[in-house]
Amino acid sequence: MTQPLVDGFPADLCTVQVDGTSIALHVESNLYPLGALYGAAYIFIDRCYVLLGRPDPTHYRVTLAWKKGAPPEGMLRELAGEFMNELLSCAWRAKINEESRSIIEAVTAQAFAGAMGPPSLDDLEKFDFSEEAFEDPLGIAMSWEEKYGKKKAAQAKDDEAAAKTPDTTAPDAASAEAAKPEAP
Amino acid sequence: MIVLRFHRELYRGTSLDETVKLFARHATFALREEQDAWVVELSADTPDRERRIAGELGNYALGLTIKAGGAGVDANATAARSANPS
Repeated sequence: MTQPLVDGFPADLCTVQVDGTSIALHVESNLYPLGALYGAAYIFIDRCYVLLGRPDPTHYRVTLAWKKGAPPEGMLRELAGEFMNELLSCAWRAKINEESRSIIEAVTAQAFAGAMGPPSLDDLEKFDFSEEAFEDPLGIAMSWEEKYGKKKAAQAKDDEAAAKTPDTTAPDAASAEAAKPEAP
Repeated sequence: MIVLRFHRELYRGTSLDETVKLFARHATFALREEQDAWVVELSADTPDRERRIAGELGNYALGLTIKAGGAGVDANATAARSANPS
């Protein structure tokens, strides 16, 4: 006895065989990957007996059998609906996982590279220190020389340069000499 | 007697072997292989017991297969082989 899952549900996509204590679903294998089918089946293992089949290369058959006695009215149909929802959820999660696989691999590779221990001298020699990795507005990462030493050296150089430059505001020694009255 | 057919693309053979060994004291089992399926025949004292053991065996084999990472068979290659046996 084969009938559609619910009114309006496409019969060629999923059909249900109500047979006393079990219900069989036929799902298209190109819409739902095998990993998603495994995921959904594993969730239902504790509620019913799950048997997977492959009637043809383009379909999977999922048989859900009630565990004890006769199932309550409408329970098998509800079970099938929940299974299809879970299958869709698992298929979507599998797609997200596939799309983010490269990011996860890159992050994991970086984590493993960091756990390999301190870099060798050759690695340090090749390392490019010129690139600033982060902003440091408070100057926490600055060395003492950068923060204080060079500044003082530059200040001392400025002082020295100022000392060498003649002071234009001071009275000229030559003119002062010239202004001196001649000795008799 | 109940005959269960587990498709090779969906169930791992080693998982089925392990499951049958585990259930061996609850029923009598006979295993055989077909081109695309592992076939398990089981006999128990009563039909109810047979049905229960068959269901539990199917669930356990499926669980072990999933934990092992799947059946380990390329579904596309198998489909192509069955479509073109030569």
